[in-house]
Amino acid sequence: MSATAPLRNRTLSAEELARRERKIPEHYWGYILLAPAVLLVMALILYPVVYSFWLSFHSKHAYLPITKFIGFENFRRLFFESEDFWRSIELGAIYAFGSVTLQLVLGVSAALLLNQTFIGRTFIRGVTLFPYMVPTVVVVILFRWLFNDQFGFFPYMLDLLGMDRDAFLWVSPDHVMLTVILISTWTFFPFVVIGTLARLQTIDPELYAAAKVDGAGVFRRFIHVTLPQLASVLFVIVLLRFIFMFTKFDVIWLLTGASGLGYFVRTLPIYTFTVTFNQLQVGAGAALSVIMFLLLAAFAFVYFKLFKREENL
Amino acid sequence: MDELGGARKYISLATIYGFAALLLAICGFPLLWMVMTTLKPDSEIITAEPTLWTSAPHLEHYVRLFEQTNFLTYFKNSVLVAGSATLLSIFVATLAGYGITRFRFRGRENIAGMMLFTYMFAPIMIIVPFFILMRGYGLVNNHFGLVLAYTTFSLPFCMWLLRSFFQSIPLELEEAAMTDGASRLQAVVYVIVPLALPGVIAVSIFSFIVAWNDYIFTRTLINSDELKTLPVGVNDLVNATVIDWGMILAGGVVITIPALIFFIAVQRYLIAGWGAGAVKG
Repeated sequence: MSATAPLRNRTLSAEELARRERKIPEHYWGYILLAPAVLLVMALILYPVVYSFWLSFHSKHAYLPITKFIGFENFRRLFFESEDFWRSIELGAIYAFGSVTLQLVLGVSAALLLNQTFIGRTFIRGVTLFPYMVPTVVVVILFRWLFNDQFGFFPYMLDLLGMDRDAFLWVSPDHVMLTVILISTWTFFPFVVIGTLARLQTIDPELYAAAKVDGAGVFRRFIHVTLPQLASVLFVIVLLRFIFMFTKFDVIWLLTGASGLGYFVRTLPIYTFTVTFNQLQVGAGAALSVIMFLLLAAFAFVYFKLFKREENL
Repeated sequence: MDELGGARKYISLATIYGFAALLLAICGFPLLWMVMTTLKPDSEIITAEPTLWTSAPHLEHYVRLFEQTNFLTYFKNSVLVAGSATLLSIFVATLAGYGITRFRFRGRENIAGMMLFTYMFAPIMIIVPFFILMRGYGLVNNHFGLVLAYTTFSLPFCMWLLRSFFQSIPLELEEAAMTDGASRLQAVVYVIVPLALPGVIAVSIFSFIVAWNDYIFTRTLINSDELKTLPVGVNDLVNATVIDWGMILAGGVVITIPALIFFIAVQRYLIAGWGAGAVKG
């Protein structure tokens, strides 16, 4: 009521506004209000995708003004002549699979914990979400410091545990993939926490009460009540996380750059960036972007199928 | 029986606090270590046997950061760019979120689907054509180009989130306000937006973080030092000559603080807001 009271005093201007509004048919307003958002997305996201498709059929150097149509030549070379390409797919899959698995384990455990009632829960929940808020560049610098082989915390821990600190170098060809997976897990697992926790809080407590009456212990309540309720949301989270990790650029790039070490974690996004900006082969780079786009579209298709089903529930 | 139940309760409480402590250590310790490192004298940083606490805390690394590097310039640029992108995203996404829930028109479902699809896009997939496009518009090495990039990239998620918020607000509320003599605009400003505020706040967090954290757009679009934003500027400090860990980590702390303050201020809206979005979008 209090919100509408001051409006009555301005009936005149309100009527005037209403009259102006009436000039435009209702459904046009939908288009007008959506126009800025749709135009931005079409011009700056969808158009570049189309442009990528066009470029991928051409041979183009970044600086030289020659653009030559070569059909599927870029793709043919990648598929049949480039070991680097297949390697980048393989490394990308390892990175995505490894980091999503760890994110899921840590994220779901944390969500289950935060769904309990205990003193300090709000505080712990806040701190749990911190890593997701820390800018990626800081995350990488921080872990480079923690893993630093001379002055870092983790090598020192190995020391204290009586192990040879030089036997396990975190940022080295042998272990850089593991290191990158651990860093990514740390910073992205809160995404899983948020999604899972939101769903956990909507589970009807009566389901647990009923299971308790039936004599189910903590473990069986988790298997028979919690897990089935979480299943669809976890599927969506895994799918999204996999897409995001498979296309992740900055964590890996900031840790290794194009340096020698980068070779050991050269996933598809890193390879794309290297081909485009270091080797200056814009056409081949675009072909890689197109491949990434098609893989994404396949995942998105599954997601939409599932999402439709979820929405109908 | 009762005693057994009591013991079991203690065990489960101990388990809960044990896990809570572990979670706190995993998430909090690296950040604590970073802050403590910045307060140490160099002799305690460059050592093979580091300690958490320092004997002589000081702020010299922060002083050096602001006096000897362009950090302050990067900071101003980041605030300007992220702030503008956030305001623009809120405005555009609110219009769109309202429009898509309150009006029936052809293609409505397609637009919603397109937003959900583009939410999954990563900048790396379009960075090349994006760069060529921006060069064509003369927006390379220009903050406005960055603002457009960040706004556009956060829009799909923001719109999706606000759509679900507007959907949850009953139409009757607006209709009641309008029968009371309010125009639609007034109904929206005085009735709907206040109710959708948690959503608007969640959107503002998301778009701020997207802009504040971005590396790849600034790296490709900006080439003069005085226009760089924090992530690129600070990363370039790491790659310069000998790494001054104390000073660089001080930079890390300063970059993180605005994001954390922003986050803490709006934390209570977050679980509700992101729940709606992260689960469904």
